[in-house]
Amino acid sequence: MSVSTTIITSVLAVIGTLIVAFFVSLWLPGIERKFVHARIQQRVGPPLSSPGFMAPIKFFFKETIIPNSPMPRLYNALPLIGLLSIFLILLFTIPQMYFLGALTTVIAIVGLLKIEEVIYMFMGVLSRSVLSMGMPFPDVVKGAKHPNAKRSFLEELSSLRAFRLIAFGSFPIYITLFIPVAMAKSLYLSEIVAYQQINGPILFTIAGILGTIVFFMGSMILLNEYPFAILKTKADVIEGPLMEYAAKSRAYIYITRGFLIFVLASLYVTLFLGIPPNILDPFFLVTVGTAIIFPILMAILSAFSPIFTFKQFYPVVAGTSIIGILGIIAAFI
Amino acid sequence: MNDDNKINNNKSTKETIIETEVAMGVVHPAALEPYRVRLFVEDEIVKDAEITIGVNHRGIERIMEGLPVEKANSLTEKVCGICSNSHIWNSVMVAEKGLGIEVPDRAQYIRVIMGELERLHSHFLYLAHGNEVLGHETFSMRLFYIRETVMELLRMIGGNRVQYGAPIIGGVRPRCELNSKRIQKIKEGMDFVEEKAINFADRFVSDPMIMSRITGVGVISRKDALRLAASGPTLRATGVARDLRTDMECYDPFDFDVITQDDGDVKSNLLVRVLEIFESVKIIRQALKDLPEGRITNRSWEMADTPIIKSYIEVPRGTLYHSYRIEEGRTRNVIIRTPSMSNIGAMEHACIGNHITDAQLAIVQCDPCFTCTDRAIKIIEL
Amino acid sequence: MSLKSYSRARAVHVMLVYTGGCNGCDIEIVNCILSPKFDAEQYKVFLTWNPREADVLVVTGPVTKHNEKPLKEIYKAIPEPKAVVAAGACALMGGVYKNIHGEIPSEEIAGPVEEVIPVAAKVPGCAVRPEDVLSGVVAALPLLLNAK
Repeated sequence: MSVSTTIITSVLAVIGTLIVAFFVSLWLPGIERKFVHARIQQRVGPPLSSPGFMAPIKFFFKETIIPNSPMPRLYNALPLIGLLSIFLILLFTIPQMYFLGALTTVIAIVGLLKIEEVIYMFMGVLSRSVLSMGMPFPDVVKGAKHPNAKRSFLEELSSLRAFRLIAFGSFPIYITLFIPVAMAKSLYLSEIVAYQQINGPILFTIAGILGTIVFFMGSMILLNEYPFAILKTKADVIEGPLMEYAAKSRAYIYITRGFLIFVLASLYVTLFLGIPPNILDPFFLVTVGTAIIFPILMAILSAFSPIFTFKQFYPVVAGTSIIGILGIIAAFI
Repeated sequence: MNDDNKINNNKSTKETIIETEVAMGVVHPAALEPYRVRLFVEDEIVKDAEITIGVNHRGIERIMEGLPVEKANSLTEKVCGICSNSHIWNSVMVAEKGLGIEVPDRAQYIRVIMGELERLHSHFLYLAHGNEVLGHETFSMRLFYIRETVMELLRMIGGNRVQYGAPIIGGVRPRCELNSKRIQKIKEGMDFVEEKAINFADRFVSDPMIMSRITGVGVISRKDALRLAASGPTLRATGVARDLRTDMECYDPFDFDVITQDDGDVKSNLLVRVLEIFESVKIIRQALKDLPEGRITNRSWEMADTPIIKSYIEVPRGTLYHSYRIEEGRTRNVIIRTPSMSNIGAMEHACIGNHITDAQLAIVQCDPCFTCTDRAIKIIEL
Repeated sequence: MSLKSYSRARAVHVMLVYTGGCNGCDIEIVNCILSPKFDAEQYKVFLTWNPREADVLVVTGPVTKHNEKPLKEIYKAIPEPKAVVAAGACALMGGVYKNIHGEIPSEEIAGPVEEVIPVAAKVPGCAVRPEDVLSGVVAALPLLLNAK
């Protein structure tokens, strides 16, 4: 095989993988809603395509408005940055991209996931929704008990929570990313994959099983899925940082969520099963299968649990982090 | 009122200046109704809370002024869409008391059945809304599913899913007569509701995540509840066995327990309602069993002028007060006080010391119904 | 049907605003979305609490004077195309609250909804039935589908 054909197939593989991943990810919210939530709640539920596929398309066709924000352009750009960062995660895990060296390490992935979290903080600071302090009320001072208190937006509250989430909430997922590193004794994805091709998947070791549990919980926290949705609790901050997004930006938010589920599933398959996402490899079906099982499991958990406040959140994070650390210790033994 | 203010004043002078205020409302998903709650927060812990009502004021008492009594009575139904029957019941009772009208036994029984069905649907709604605020969509939907049976029964008897009020002066509407077919349907409905409610209660109480969310949250102590003049299930959740149904004449033939819990937190509040559901089912069954024969309306009465008559009854949310006087067949000086009005103090108090996510839960635990509360004026002493 | 109208028909986001009714309509509308018996989601109707996400605004109640401004603000926040569904007798003509004693208007009521914001569909009833609300939302759909 000549060099040029190799390059062409590689490029096609990368583009094909990204497109297929994108396409699969659009169906995940529908699967979650129709097959899990609606089933558990004993109702018919929405059509499969509606929540994840048709809703973003609809939002693309809506009127573009200037969000109520001190920096509307930056605010509208944030979801694109988030989408781009998870796009890059998927890109760097594709085996054809392993020549990029330092970008295809676990460290780079941690950094890109961190962007996803930090973005929420910026969103919260920049959003000024009509539903919080912007809501007109006839008489603000009427009977105020503390008239001198600084009035705060609901989004500022969720921005503070995003900060706490960065500080401790994302601990489990970062710990668990280093279990394969400890096993393969290398930061490079290529060597982690190669290690598993020789020694069998990490999943079938004690460290791997512990890592799987922690990865699942950690990704739910990262995704702000329901029991851990402190950023966007309906009971207080409504939708939190995402409140001002409309039209195209809202569509990116919808796409980002489904895509992040897929990317996390694919990352898990790469790190714990040794199957990097590659459309030319028949094992790509494992990635797709995991990406479908992943939201189903998450939806089951979220359908049966109330929202967590910090009182429940801290112990859960601490507990999963400890399991993750045990996993790393097990990986060294 | 004086006492209340004094405590508030002490609080603001003793404590340091509070940093942030987070306002929720007028439109907020956890509140549903238009009202505003201002939470004074320090590090996400609520230090003080303030509920502002008045957005909903529509002036029903003003509209009732000078209307013929029958018309005014049916207008009270529109005070609240959840406990509409209770409002018309109490309003009719004022006229009956003033004019000395004897109500046939069968009518009293049907009124009790309607009142208890209303309590069932109100308590199911309360539990469903509570679960929605907890973030538990599944439980909320299951409760709405059970509630649907009660709604259908109300529609069968009253002719409408909401605003089905049965009482008229001297009895109940002819439409609300219970024939054997209807009795059978109510019996079946009660069996269904009881079975499902038991299943739900078992599942609910054994859920560790729910329990950790609701135990010890939004505590109102017995002393505070009495001081803040809380009423109804909110008061009973703090251990005070005060239920006006024990004083009401029409409840005399029935055997039921006054449910109390001790802690005064969200858990006790939810459990009081869950257990009251079973008591209501018990009362309805007794009423259907001993339903006396006879007329359902007493039409032999004459309109006369009366002084101001007051009437208190127990409705799903607490104590409801109606008073008016009749002048030439028209109502004058109408005053309505709904249970949520007297519970506002308890709601504000329950928020304090909780995490901000639990604040709405602490308000919801008192079963607020601000749309019906917004008629009266709360006098604030400055 | 173009992709635009097809996608609009397949995902309708509904926001509810209560403007001072008696709670009857409000509960019935929540009922039709949360109760498994009616389950609005099977008709591709999703509940949202954010005006930026919404397509259809369901308004109940006679719009009290204090609620007029919030309602206008929320209506303004919804990006085009949008439609308003007024549900219940109060939202349609002020109900029992609007006119007291013949022609004397109430000082508390700014409504009906039509006088505050443009209304696309009207759902009668006191209180509205859940089925009617759903059909009202569906009746407002052509306006959304054919919009630019």
